[in-house]
Amino acid sequence: MAAIDELAEFLERTPGGGILLTTVDAVMNWARGKSLWTFPMGTACCAMEFIAASFSRFDFDRHGTIPRPDPRHCDVMVVAGTVTRKMMPAVKRIYDQMPEPKWVVAMGNCAVSGGIFYYDTYSVVRGVDEFLPVDVYIAGCPPRPEALQDAILQLRKKIATESISKRRTRPLVSDLALPTDPRKGDLLSAADADEEDEAPATRSVSA
Amino acid sequence: MRIEELRERVCAMYPDLCPLFSIEFGDGAISVPLERVHSAAADLKEMGFDRLGMVTAVDRGEEFEIVYRLQSRDLRAGMFLKALVPRSDPRVPSMCDLWPAANWQEREVYDLFGIVFEGHPDLRRILLPDDWEGHPLRKDYVDERIIPRPDYI
Amino acid sequence: MSSLLLGILWGVAGVLVIAGGAVIGVWWERKVAGHIQLRYGPQQIGPAGSLQMLADVPKLLFKEDIVPSGADRPLFKWAPLMAFAPVAAAMAVIPFAAGWAPFDTSVGVLFFLAVPSLEVVAILVAAWAQRNSYAAIGGLRAASQMIAYEVPRTLAVAPLVLLAGSLRPTEVVAAWRWWWLPLLAIAFVVYLIASIAEMNRGPFDLPEAESELVAGYFADYSGMRWAIFMMAEYGAVITASLFAAATFLGAGWPFSGALGVVALVVKTSVLVTIVMWTKWTLPRVRQDQLLRFCWVVLVPATLVQLAIVGVVLPWM
Repeated sequence: MAAIDELAEFLERTPGGGILLTTVDAVMNWARGKSLWTFPMGTACCAMEFIAASFSRFDFDRHGTIPRPDPRHCDVMVVAGTVTRKMMPAVKRIYDQMPEPKWVVAMGNCAVSGGIFYYDTYSVVRGVDEFLPVDVYIAGCPPRPEALQDAILQLRKKIATESISKRRTRPLVSDLALPTDPRKGDLLSAADADEEDEAPATRSVSA
Repeated sequence: MRIEELRERVCAMYPDLCPLFSIEFGDGAISVPLERVHSAAADLKEMGFDRLGMVTAVDRGEEFEIVYRLQSRDLRAGMFLKALVPRSDPRVPSMCDLWPAANWQEREVYDLFGIVFEGHPDLRRILLPDDWEGHPLRKDYVDERIIPRPDYI
Repeated sequence: MSSLLLGILWGVAGVLVIAGGAVIGVWWERKVAGHIQLRYGPQQIGPAGSLQMLADVPKLLFKEDIVPSGADRPLFKWAPLMAFAPVAAAMAVIPFAAGWAPFDTSVGVLFFLAVPSLEVVAILVAAWAQRNSYAAIGGLRAASQMIAYEVPRTLAVAPLVLLAGSLRPTEVVAAWRWWWLPLLAIAFVVYLIASIAEMNRGPFDLPEAESELVAGYFADYSGMRWAIFMMAEYGAVITASLFAAATFLGAGWPFSGALGVVALVVKTSVLVTIVMWTKWTLPRVRQDQLLRFCWVVLVPATLVQLAIVGVVLPWM
């Protein structure tokens, strides 16, 4: 168990520990919100807007957000662009490699709902929330860089509602997708995942 | 090279195909029978068309029409080379020995149309997952995953 | 106090100095990188974003600890510390003030040149322990680069030792004259470039090439383990700059005493900024170009410098 889980349990057990728990929550949520390192899962045109948001005119390094190339160092995965059915296992694998706590931002219409490719296509996943638990959705085709910065700020507000003691259950693919609905497509089930990165059906983590 | 000059040179090479020479998108286009397509491509390459810009196909119902777009930097001209491929037995000689760029292009045509390129060093799917069934750009491709666009949008 | 206790205290002090240096270094790097790229770096926490690490450190500390399945667990856990220790040890021999270094030995300069070579072992261990082929490639590249650049780095410090007549750092500082700097200009530049390559920084950071190897030899390290690697890297930057400022730029000259220490810190900061400036301005150098540069350009330059010093020495 991670150290912070033990801390949370200790604080819950001790009388009057609730005050410390809320303080620790506030500090950790503040720290996590102010230092959100993003993994730019940029598959298509929205990646250009992501890059623009990290450059001089818009600059999300001001908010403490650095794009890191390695999922092991990141907190947020920003899925910027269309995810095809061939790409989906790769995106899921990278999501699995990120250490908890982690969040997902669906950037752009294609990641939110399949966007312009919702109709008449055979190989686009209609929205990244079919296989990832999304925290913030950004609409736009592509969204402006300011919209991405707004998403970071909204994500901070969402993080502020979390607690180190509340165990957050994150469902995985097989729980979210409805394999009986043929229009949603036959998504990769958890059993097909690589043996190395095999995860249990649900994963309980503290926030 | 002006298009008339190109027409003359191609007609000099293939007098029997001369009436089939047309002008499309500002470039010359010629349709050859399937058994001559490789030799025609080799002759055009010798004439100066050293770049294969694109390989694609069209589903014309009874047959596929395979289209090669050739370009020449020295002649400053472009040329479409077309051939009709029967639907029941879609096999075409591969152009990989003439232009290495044909490798991935022909894999794409194989992936989306099912046209088999004979002599291709590594013919397998390139855009779709390897276990996909069917060839989507054929007109008779049916997939229950497709949501058709409603008229009212 | 027993010498063991004293040694432990010195060790803790060294770790704190490097940690503090890393905190300031990370902030300064983000600001320098930002302003070179015509943007502001961190702005929100503290004046000019200086307290940004207050948010980064708790976040990194409480990330989930991932050890890849099949990785060599003991090696995996020890590798970051193995990378950190040589840097801390090397800082002990630097003459901070005139006549004083935390660990004043008669072979101090040799100690300083040799001990950071243990980083190579740490990087190979880190690369191997992850059971990740890309990390292994990154580690091997890093190791070959570091071993190659040891040679010009050592040869660049050799003329300094010749002029000073001693390997003891405090004696080198005491013997320094202002005209050594133009005389040893080639050595100074070669030392800086070789140090940058030693630390896998700047244009020589192909082992951590982001678009190629996804962070190279620390690809699978998350949270605090990675932060320790980063601290080791910034510690190395500061250590190398401190040494260059102390020996090539004359430590506290033209001041002495406490003001001399301040002067040393200022000179170090300038050199650290130059190192960061190089990283954010120059594009990455390819592996074979990097090694070629070392053997074909830097080593002959140091030999030329040795020849110059050899000619001047009898006149002193």
